Amino acid sequence: MNAQTLISFGRSLLPVLLRRGGQALAVGVLVGMLSFLMMRWLPGDFAYRIAAGRYGYDLVSAEAAEAVRRELALDAPWYVALAGWWQQLLAFDLGNSLVIGTPVIDEIRHQLGHTLMLAGAALGLSLLIGLPLGVAAGLRPGGWADRLGLLVSVALRAFPPFLLGLLMVIVFAGADLPAAGHGEAANLFLPALTLALGLAAGSSRIVREAIRNVLASEHYAFAQTKGLPLSLAVWRHALRNMALPVVAYLGVQLVFVIEGVVILETLFAWPGIGHALVHAVFWRDVPMIQGTCLMLALCFVLLNALVDLLCLALDPRHR
Amino acid sequence: MKRILAVDGLSVRAGDNALLRDVSFALAPGEALTLVGQSGAGKSLLAQAIMGNLPDALQAAGTVEVAGVASAAADHHTRRPLWGRQLGLLPQEPWLALDPTMRILAQVEETYRHVRRDGNAANARQRAREALAGLGLQDKAGHYPHQISGGMAQRVAFAAVYAGGAPILIADEPTKGLDRRMRDEVVTLLREALLEGCALLTVTHDLEVAEALGGRLAVIEQGRIVESGATTTVMQAPQHPYTQALLAAQPRNWPAEPAPASGQPLLTAQGLAKAFGRQRLFAGIDLCVHAGERLALTGPSGCGKTTLGNILLGVLKPDAGRVVSHAARPFAFQKLYQDPVAAFPARQTLRQTFADLCRLHRLDPGAAAPLLAELGLDAALLDRLPGEVSGGELQRIAIARILLLKPQLVFADEPTSRLDAITQKQTMAVLLRALERSGAALVLVTHDDALAERVAGRRLAIDTAY
Repeated sequence: MNAQTLISFGRSLLPVLLRRGGQALAVGVLVGMLSFLMMRWLPGDFAYRIAAGRYGYDLVSAEAAEAVRRELALDAPWYVALAGWWQQLLAFDLGNSLVIGTPVIDEIRHQLGHTLMLAGAALGLSLLIGLPLGVAAGLRPGGWADRLGLLVSVALRAFPPFLLGLLMVIVFAGADLPAAGHGEAANLFLPALTLALGLAAGSSRIVREAIRNVLASEHYAFAQTKGLPLSLAVWRHALRNMALPVVAYLGVQLVFVIEGVVILETLFAWPGIGHALVHAVFWRDVPMIQGTCLMLALCFVLLNALVDLLCLALDPRHR
Repeated sequence: MKRILAVDGLSVRAGDNALLRDVSFALAPGEALTLVGQSGAGKSLLAQAIMGNLPDALQAAGTVEVAGVASAAADHHTRRPLWGRQLGLLPQEPWLALDPTMRILAQVEETYRHVRRDGNAANARQRAREALAGLGLQDKAGHYPHQISGGMAQRVAFAAVYAGGAPILIADEPTKGLDRRMRDEVVTLLREALLEGCALLTVTHDLEVAEALGGRLAVIEQGRIVESGATTTVMQAPQHPYTQALLAAQPRNWPAEPAPASGQPLLTAQGLAKAFGRQRLFAGIDLCVHAGERLALTGPSGCGKTTLGNILLGVLKPDAGRVVSHAARPFAFQKLYQDPVAAFPARQTLRQTFADLCRLHRLDPGAAAPLLAELGLDAALLDRLPGEVSGGELQRIAIARILLLKPQLVFADEPTSRLDAITQKQTMAVLLRALERSGAALVLVTHDDALAERVAGRRLAIDTAY
């Protein structure tokens, strides 16, 4: 990148950061409010569920529930509780877990690392699977690799992640791969592969389309007729243009990643943020739910901002 | 003189369908040969067959000899190493041919660095800068293709090809989509290349380009060369009926149209001005269109002709000034678009489109059939999709669609600029006869001065003085 490119890149940076910053704020307000209200509207006695979470279903009693209710001031009107949460949030305090009593932020810090590891491994694997399949299909559109690729990706995309995850457990049960737990690299493999298959189903088709378009483009033909050897024509004029839609599609796939993380972590008992979210919903641990949802939403906005910046760096037309 | 390019018995087939038949010619350094003919006559295939990059579905036969080395036309591998070094190909649409993600300096520089390879690659950047400066593009070296005009893009493409030092230049429709001024610039470039000793093979449907390039002319009809000779001779005394028809179809050779009687004012505009952002298009335009009148708006690309028309139609608001319409009813002002394919829904049969139009405006569904017959169209065409009808037919169908609404004024935006000369003449005649019958006025946008002069009684030139 030369100085000129850096300047034009820098100038177009500000609008992206402002837009995504504003989105982060709006998403924070909406997600915080919605998760709070939805919890309030769920049927069942709040205090009873929390007490059950603390002491176990066998030991919980009406007195224990009453004690919890008093301790956490659960009979306060909903707007008082909501205002209290907002007040805390403005001081960058996510509160303490109602069930285990530790600060939510400590829990999330621990879980986020696991989640990012899973998401990163899944994205990496999806590239390893999707790129070669997409290239094979794009080089010969309508060929057997293309038609087979289309069939498989439609089938994979049609499977909800939890069903695909269950199938993976069954298929790999004989292969001595652990279906649950964490700590070893092998534990990461199944959930990451499940997520990666769904991602590769989409990205391989985008790669196929990108390659087909670039190979048919007039600028690629011109690069060759003006005398560049094939390898240079590909390196200088095809790769960057192919990468544009693939990178832009990454932003779309992030939704799939976040959704998949929540479901697959639960299925494979992977101690990430999605796993924590599902448990928090179960025990009505409102600060925990709000904290994890907020963190997932902010991650989503942040990653989208990164994709935007990458697109800006690759494509001068956006600057 | 020693010949540098020779083509002998070249044919191109798609299965049983012969697209080019038995084409032979030879070119010496510094000599120009121009191939003209209607679109679909196989002209562009000739350029591809010589280069050796025909689509896989086509089969070539015959021989191509470049700088004394002959190879079979079907043998794509022999001539590929000659690309850029012996055979330079100027692209059809330079705007699309330049890499959108690379600065133009780098796109010229890489030819010096990777193609020319005359031991001077270290200076590639400097030489590319000089080449761009020589074409008046010194300020644009750091720009990307989307930041420059079509004419500039053609010059950049020329620099990128010319840098390879190929002694044979093939220009495939090098002026497609360019207005007169940009077209003249391209012709100047090609003439300079000729003076430098390049052999030049140009494929075009623009006879004025052929005339300006001089040299020899070959006329292609249905894949076959029907007449060839010195350009001036062929143009002055065409022998073959097809060549005669082609020449007669040039707007400057059209018979002059008698001006129709005009009536009451239909539309008056005062002090119109419009700008997009910081770019001022026009200001202080006054005009009046009378019933039945024909007015032409002329000017180079990007001067705001289309925008002015849209303001007159009331589709766009002017920045200043006002338009007063005396239309007798709503929808009395209609627009005919430049690209008819884009003006029809792509995945719906034309019959459906007409039926929808009749339902929307409560018209008699039977009204279309006689109109189509008047315009010389077969009603069976309506059962096709817009992409399955030829450009000239589709534009006539578009005219029929407009006439259904009984317009008082038709704003025709370059309605024939995408058609070849013979189809252009037919289509324009059909449009004028139809307007004559219905008594509607015409506002014609065109960048072709000869066309404007033949068709319109009155002309308004918009220039880019702003």
